[in-house]
Amino acid sequence: MNTSANISRRRFMAGCTGGASAAAIGLYGRLSLAAEVFGGHPLAPRPTHFPPRANRLLFIFLTGGFSHVDTFDHKPRLATDSGRELSTHQLRAAQSGKLMPSPFKFHHRGQSGLVMSELFPRLGTVADDLCVIRTMHTDIVEHFQATLAMHTGSSTVPLPSIGAWLSYALGTHNPNLPSYVVLAEHLPYAGAQVYDCNFLPPEHQGVRIVPGDEPIPDLKPPTRSVAIAELERMMLRDINELHAHGRADDLDLPARTASFDTARGMMQAAPEVFDLARESAATLDLYGAKQGDNRSFPSQCLVARRLLERGVRVVELIDTGSHDNWDAHGDMQDHRPKALRVDRALSGLLQDLKQRGLLDDTLVAICTEFGRTPTTFNGKGREHYIDAFSCLLAGGGVRGGMAYGETDEYGMQIVKDPSHVHDYHATIMHLLGLDHKRVTYRYAGRDFRLTDVAGRVLESVLA
Amino acid sequence: MLRIPLIAALVLAVASSAASSSRADSPRDEGAEFFELKIRPVLAGKCFKCHGADKASGGLRIDSRDALLKGGEHGASIVPGKPGDSLLVRALRHEDDEVQMPPDGQLAKQSIDDFAIWIEHGALWPASAAATDAFAAGRHWAFQPLGDPQTPAEPPDAGAIDRFIAAKRLEQGLSPVGPAERGPLLRRAYFDLVGLPPEPEELDRFADDDAPDAFARVVERLLASPQYGARWGRHWLDVVRYADTAGDNADYPVPEARFYRDYVIDSFNADKPYDQFVREQLAGDLLAAEHAGDRERYRDEVVATGFLALSRRYATAPYELWHLSLEDAIDTTGRAFLGLSLRCARCHDHKYDPVAQTDYYALYGIFNSTQFPWAGGEEFQSKKSPREHFVPLVPAAEAEPKIAAMRAAIEQLTAQRETAETTDDWQQVGDLRRELDRWQQAHKLDSPPGVPVAYAVSEGKPGDACVQLRGEPDKPGPVVPRGVPKFFAASGPTVIPEGASGRRQLAEWLTRPDHPLVARVMANRVWQWHFGRGLVATPSNLGLRGSPPTHPELLDWLARRLIDSGWSIKALHREIMLSRTYQLASTARAENAAHDPDNNYYWRFDRRRLDAEAIRDAMLVAGGTLDLARPGEHPFPPVKKWTWTQHQPFKASYPSPHRSVYLMTQRLQRHPYLALFDGPDTNTSTDVRTSATVPSQALFLLNNPLVAEQAEGLARRAIAASGDARKRVELPCLLCWSRRPTNDETNRAVEYVARVADELKAAGAAADRIELESWSSYARLLLESNEFVYVD
Repeated sequence: MNTSANISRRRFMAGCTGGASAAAIGLYGRLSLAAEVFGGHPLAPRPTHFPPRANRLLFIFLTGGFSHVDTFDHKPRLATDSGRELSTHQLRAAQSGKLMPSPFKFHHRGQSGLVMSELFPRLGTVADDLCVIRTMHTDIVEHFQATLAMHTGSSTVPLPSIGAWLSYALGTHNPNLPSYVVLAEHLPYAGAQVYDCNFLPPEHQGVRIVPGDEPIPDLKPPTRSVAIAELERMMLRDINELHAHGRADDLDLPARTASFDTARGMMQAAPEVFDLARESAATLDLYGAKQGDNRSFPSQCLVARRLLERGVRVVELIDTGSHDNWDAHGDMQDHRPKALRVDRALSGLLQDLKQRGLLDDTLVAICTEFGRTPTTFNGKGREHYIDAFSCLLAGGGVRGGMAYGETDEYGMQIVKDPSHVHDYHATIMHLLGLDHKRVTYRYAGRDFRLTDVAGRVLESVLA
Repeated sequence: MLRIPLIAALVLAVASSAASSSRADSPRDEGAEFFELKIRPVLAGKCFKCHGADKASGGLRIDSRDALLKGGEHGASIVPGKPGDSLLVRALRHEDDEVQMPPDGQLAKQSIDDFAIWIEHGALWPASAAATDAFAAGRHWAFQPLGDPQTPAEPPDAGAIDRFIAAKRLEQGLSPVGPAERGPLLRRAYFDLVGLPPEPEELDRFADDDAPDAFARVVERLLASPQYGARWGRHWLDVVRYADTAGDNADYPVPEARFYRDYVIDSFNADKPYDQFVREQLAGDLLAAEHAGDRERYRDEVVATGFLALSRRYATAPYELWHLSLEDAIDTTGRAFLGLSLRCARCHDHKYDPVAQTDYYALYGIFNSTQFPWAGGEEFQSKKSPREHFVPLVPAAEAEPKIAAMRAAIEQLTAQRETAETTDDWQQVGDLRRELDRWQQAHKLDSPPGVPVAYAVSEGKPGDACVQLRGEPDKPGPVVPRGVPKFFAASGPTVIPEGASGRRQLAEWLTRPDHPLVARVMANRVWQWHFGRGLVATPSNLGLRGSPPTHPELLDWLARRLIDSGWSIKALHREIMLSRTYQLASTARAENAAHDPDNNYYWRFDRRRLDAEAIRDAMLVAGGTLDLARPGEHPFPPVKKWTWTQHQPFKASYPSPHRSVYLMTQRLQRHPYLALFDGPDTNTSTDVRTSATVPSQALFLLNNPLVAEQAEGLARRAIAASGDARKRVELPCLLCWSRRPTNDETNRAVEYVARVADELKAAGAAADRIELESWSSYARLLLESNEFVYVD
């Protein structure tokens, strides 16, 4: 273990509400099994494989499949060849549609001149920090499966989420908050499976927080003295440890015990995290959040920053749920309100992270489950498309102001540097100091990993 | 060029294939059979992977005739009638350098010739995908008739279940752990059968009962307890996506839904034969008509169709997006009884299972010929969304005159109001309106005085439905006669009379003893609810995409046992619980765990977390506050105050001292407690409960007032039990852990309580609170402990 990991581990343990031993508070001198056995907290930071470029991940998922050719992958030929019939394969069979130009204007943004559409005017102001991956592709042309794939690497059977994998591989910086927090007013397709830990130990489970007045229920303790709360904590550990004796193979038991420590930590730490009243008017304005509002997407972006600042390893933001999202079959103009809702908040978040020095070691991934067909079936909307779509990376270790890979003149086929979802995940892991091939978990006689038997780091996006 | 007549080729094919058992009759069937035997398996095995839905190499897909005709980059793949001109054949024969398929080596010559024959005879590709999948489906284990498996011989002194389990275990080289100890076994059986902890006195009695049938008598006593239905009925309510609201945009409450809930609980308690249970839920109203004299039975059977009535409502106006509600009815029917997801066939033939789109619309016709109730909705106050079509719980002959009288009265009042409005006499209008409202609210629509109603279905206007192209109701396709899925109807036609919806015929078809799926599905569920996992791990999907059974013979044996016992669920409980397999300890054995970490071969009993209902119920038992009686109506606001809209939908959570199965649950929002502890989905059938461990559950146990109240109740009982601190520790341990504390545990507990009392004193707590609060603190720890929520 390297020294910095040792230091961070020591700092972590000092911050644990479960740091003291029962003997130290003189509960009973004779023994305290708990203090010995649970001294090693399962979420304590672990060493990386190589020096990381980023220390934490902000995973932003825009539900429904935003259209690559209307956002980050400009295709003027769609206008010139508008109406030409081309076939794309949909779920059941190939279907033929007519090429449709983007109804949105595109501009060069920033020093780098990265091309983006008018849907994201404010995000364009941070274009030089963005790396657009234009050659994403995935396996199954259905929301459920593709959303699952973007989160777990698997389009079919549910497997652990990327956040759970990172929690497992890296631990977390703040023992008083969950290692993986999901801010989601509504659940996306595939529901809670997207942040599930599956076979990974349950302490790596994503904790979903629903924005509102009581983002975490039952956070306030009944009026009990601090000393008694501490006695209860020690005694519960002891009771559980006695029970675990002879049941050592059952990892659910220590995980459940640890969940009480995380809960107690949350009681101390969380009220302050969610209290946006502490933010200045200028900061609120940067995100487009309103005073007193704790529900909107901009407010969630602010909460995300506060969680990252406080040492949460993985924060996920899900913009909207399985209804009323980017799934613009009917009319591409439906992208406007969706973009309007997130544009200012996302650019504000990136600027805020930057001005606080956090963007240097925070990796930001902005993604969706798939793209949309360059063709249209009804003249206004676009269908699901998995052969090419765009996702973004920004922040720690990412080369900003660039586009990775190329699609053909219509955005239909990848012509250079493809990036499968597994490659995207491998790159994220790499930036966090992990070799995706070495982050494995043995289950049912087989070593599993996030990237299955694939995955390739996109070297040229690394700064 | 090959000139082998198709018939001759077919004879060759059939003769060489053991898989084929039926002989084709018409030329078309011959072609289909040739395709299924000789062409499709090769396409599926060698070609679809690169030229199918997931990937279309070279722009070519070959998973349909159209796709072959269209071809890829090199042009059309086949020219029907002309094998020599067909690129497919040329590629298979490696005639061109450019395209040689399959890339991993040439097919056998016989197989290449088969393709030539097939193309020469027109490249017939059976029209429906479901029909083409019949080849795979025809061999799928779950679609075969129930087997009559031979019980393995070993061990000779064990029952059939143990022998089936032992045989597989031996194959895997696994040896079972020993039997569970008495205390844990009793706790297991109690939570399993009644969802409650054993009474402390029963723990002692069972520990001292040396008779060989001691456990059998425990099982009998629990099966006879009315609390059994509250536990096992809840399992079924998961499967049928039970909720107390409708699910429309304003989520209107359905006070009458509880009648169905209670019917389910009572049916389990009565050990109602499962086939009858199935028939009643689909067609109870029709069965009821046959014995109008038996009022109780009549009522029950009408209530049973709540299974269908509970289908999810959508949108705002009455029966809006109705095709989606019927989709829920069809899909829940498929998942619950058949173990098949039928939903896929709404828009297209099922991709994997032999369910064609026409099968879906054959069922659609049945349910579309059924009158569903409407529970009210956003425009309730303006009477545009009234509660209507609830079903009277007395025979029509009795109810109809009363209903007619009520309707007449409403009409009269309405007419008077209309007149009044035209004369602009607003005072009079207001009075009449109020009178009408009072009338309707007092009696509820469709419910004249003295005629209670259920949220149930009745016969509607019978008629066949059109296929909806791509599942869109405004794109009608051909009309499909009402009926059951064709693939499964082979053993005998189900004729639906012209004037009937067909629900009765559907119910009868499902419960034929030779139905391959229904008994298997239910036997598997019963096993799953005992062991935490089914022999088929996907209990509502026994189709081609479901998990294969770990113990197929045992599953068939259980299904047979279910049928042979007169469809008695309780008989299955006895078989399972009296087996050694059920009574194994939950201890570890490293060499087994290395080979079979998931315990697929039952070398031990899996330790499991209690589900949401059992945690809450056991907590209330410990606190001494659980009311085992069945509650009455939920405390919904009075009907005249129902003003919910999509913007402000109905949203409530009612505290209750009753068992958790009686909590009011909603569709649009989940019950906060049940959601926290992985309760069922109220919008769609839940076949397996998950059990995640998250800190928010710990927060609930640490800080929620409900837990504090129960801990205090438990503390009061402990204090009342004895003046001696050491004796006081006993009752909380018995209630929470189903065992006495060890001497060491008692020492620690006494020391702990004393220490908390000191702290309280130091903090200046009132003297009369110190004892109660210090013991409450200890009691709370037991409710939070792992041992409380895990069952060995």
